[in-house]
Amino acid sequence: MNGVTKRIRNWLEVRVGLDELLRSNLTDYRVPSNINLFHTLGAVAVVGYLIQVITGICLLIYYIPHADHAFRSVQEIMTRVPYGWLFRQMHVVGSNLLIAAVFVHMVTIFLMGNYKRPRELTWISGGLLMVITLCFGFSGYLLPWTQLSYWATTVATSIPTAFPVVGDFVSRLLRGGSSVTGITLTRFFAVHVSLLPPLFVFLMVVHIALIRRIGLSATPFGRSDEEKRPLTEFRKKLHPDGYPYYPYLLQKQALMGILYFVVMFLVISFAPTFFFPEEATVPADAFKTPESIRPEWYFLAPYQMLKIIPNKFLGISLQIILLAVFIFWPFLDTHKEKNIFKRPVLRGVFIVVMIAMVILMWWGRR
Amino acid sequence: MRRYVMLLGLLLVFPLTASGDYREEFEQGFLTKTWSGQQPEENFCIECHSSDKMKPEFLTLAEEWKASWHAQNGIACHDCHGGDPKDSSMSMSPHRGFVGKPSPAEVPEFCGKCHIGILKNYLESGNGKALRSTGKGPHCEVCHGSHNVQRANIDIINEQRCTKCHSYERAKVMKQALFLVEKKAGEIEDGIKALRRAGVYPEEQERSLFNTQAEFRTLFHTVDVNLVNERTDEFTRKLGAIEKDIQGTFIELRSQKNFSAFLMALFSIMGGVLFLIIRTPDK
Amino acid sequence: MRRRTFLQSLLAVFGTVSAASFAYPLLRFLAPPADADRDKKFTLAKKDIPIGTSRVVLVNDKPVIVIYEKGKGYIALSSVCTHLGCLVGYEAAKNILVCPCHGGTYDLEGNVLSGPPPRPLSKVPLKVENEQLVIG
Repeated sequence: MNGVTKRIRNWLEVRVGLDELLRSNLTDYRVPSNINLFHTLGAVAVVGYLIQVITGICLLIYYIPHADHAFRSVQEIMTRVPYGWLFRQMHVVGSNLLIAAVFVHMVTIFLMGNYKRPRELTWISGGLLMVITLCFGFSGYLLPWTQLSYWATTVATSIPTAFPVVGDFVSRLLRGGSSVTGITLTRFFAVHVSLLPPLFVFLMVVHIALIRRIGLSATPFGRSDEEKRPLTEFRKKLHPDGYPYYPYLLQKQALMGILYFVVMFLVISFAPTFFFPEEATVPADAFKTPESIRPEWYFLAPYQMLKIIPNKFLGISLQIILLAVFIFWPFLDTHKEKNIFKRPVLRGVFIVVMIAMVILMWWGRR
Repeated sequence: MRRYVMLLGLLLVFPLTASGDYREEFEQGFLTKTWSGQQPEENFCIECHSSDKMKPEFLTLAEEWKASWHAQNGIACHDCHGGDPKDSSMSMSPHRGFVGKPSPAEVPEFCGKCHIGILKNYLESGNGKALRSTGKGPHCEVCHGSHNVQRANIDIINEQRCTKCHSYERAKVMKQALFLVEKKAGEIEDGIKALRRAGVYPEEQERSLFNTQAEFRTLFHTVDVNLVNERTDEFTRKLGAIEKDIQGTFIELRSQKNFSAFLMALFSIMGGVLFLIIRTPDK
Repeated sequence: MRRRTFLQSLLAVFGTVSAASFAYPLLRFLAPPADADRDKKFTLAKKDIPIGTSRVVLVNDKPVIVIYEKGKGYIALSSVCTHLGCLVGYEAAKNILVCPCHGGTYDLEGNVLSGPPPRPLSKVPLKVENEQLVIG
């Protein structure tokens, strides 16, 4: 190591205790030896969020949040601004990949039973993070002000009206009026760039702090000691015989992060219009409803569910109940057994839910 | 615990059993309410012309119009016929500017309210002069039809139509003169469609094509072959510029693809190297 | 061990290359657009436009209509109709601009008077210098 870096290190060492900081977070931080690739998905999501933040800031530089200019400014970003297409594509493709990654993350956590006590709060903060991620997707969808985004938002913001008494008010509040207009656009813009990000960062800090504080769950499948003991006092889960975080898990996380980039550029190179159906290149027109209005793929299942339930109030209430069940799942499933192979009913329900979601998505696609 | 799980299963299975005309019902509920942006406009023209009371020969007009190029571009009954589509008692009142069926001699002015450049050239043409002096002669509707007017197309000039009044020879020469420019315009239109499919909004190219083609077609309505031939070069050049612009956009798209593929390769290699590092035992 | 070192330096090299592959687009992205050729002015002799007439000239490849009106003097407006992009013409008798395609009309300020155009015509700066008109 040459002199300059050594001096910088020393400068930091005497002030913030760099060595101890790195040691306690990288090498002394032990992870269970049977950790698998699915444990990296959270880190992949962090990489995905960073991409969204950076490309989002780039887009902000040229985007104009006004009904008269939004569409044009996005087109300028795509065609005129040098490499604007790169940042826009990364932002759009990234948002979709990110939601997929977060979704897989939650499913694997569920399958490994890692939401169980003492990690209920970690699950809840993760569930809320997912909700915020979907809000990001929903609010960002309107911003390019295309036919697709305009009409999808029109439909989505009319859904609250199914509620008696407050429904109309909520819908008007979301739209800033009786229909989707430039006022809605600026509202969604504000939510997308200034309301959601701090909320999101706060929850992410809580989520990660909880993971570090409680310690990683030892066994992907089956009971482990922390579930056996009665929960009467806090005990951090340490893995004295595990592997050091660095390089063992960090390398795996980096590998998966790189894979995320590879998939992203695979889509951008070879299927650049994958997330841009034809209505997405036509400016919003309040007087022309396109043939097919459909939301982004991650809203297809709930959208289709809403469509097929004859009573809309029932449909929406059901979705809210499902969302609550999902977020508070650790309190509903208090069974101590973590191994899903020993839980035939839970396994059955899980498979049914997954199949139902796939069917609904596929059904809602047409 | 089991109770919760069963309940959840029930909640999820329930919607799958529902069926019926959900889509229509959904759209009625969520898309056509007044707050959904588009106000379902009352139009008494269409209402009456689709009702049982209407004479059969007037009954098809609304349907014809709905299939027309005008309808696709948001031009409705009152834009041509005047009147008031929102007031049933006054909808066909001359006081509100209503004009029913124009007589042949009135047709050019009727259409020329909007298509004014074409009107001017048409009136100066042999066809227009014939109509004016004799009251007979080909007017807009003879070639373009009325309610189901479609996008203009070079094949409107055909033997069957022109020989209704005169021999086809001169019309044929005219069609040949138009052919080159129209063909090129068709090619550019295909290019614009391809751009759309590639996710580009080709607004500028579309406008240039529209105004070049419109100018050319306006010119054609003089039915003056020499004039058309004289200016064919100029139009070909203009269209050539648009074509070049479209090609340039495609080249740009290709370079974007290359750059993104380069980044993909870069990350693939990094992933491979990192994988090898992970597999390499430390000491 | 040597294999490991080799791989690590390889990773460092590719890491640097990919960082540069993002830094370059970012720099280009942020760089102000080159506008040198957008500022070209067009000069026109006064005598080329008699009173009550108009002329269409190309300024930076965009058609501009220059009008000499009795009361208002010289006026320069973009001649591209905001509806579908046809070129508008000056109608001296009514003192308006008319689009030949679908009959949109504008006043001499560029404001829409009637017809389908969604926006007014954009104004083009014009200066009178001696016997010359400088447009753009």
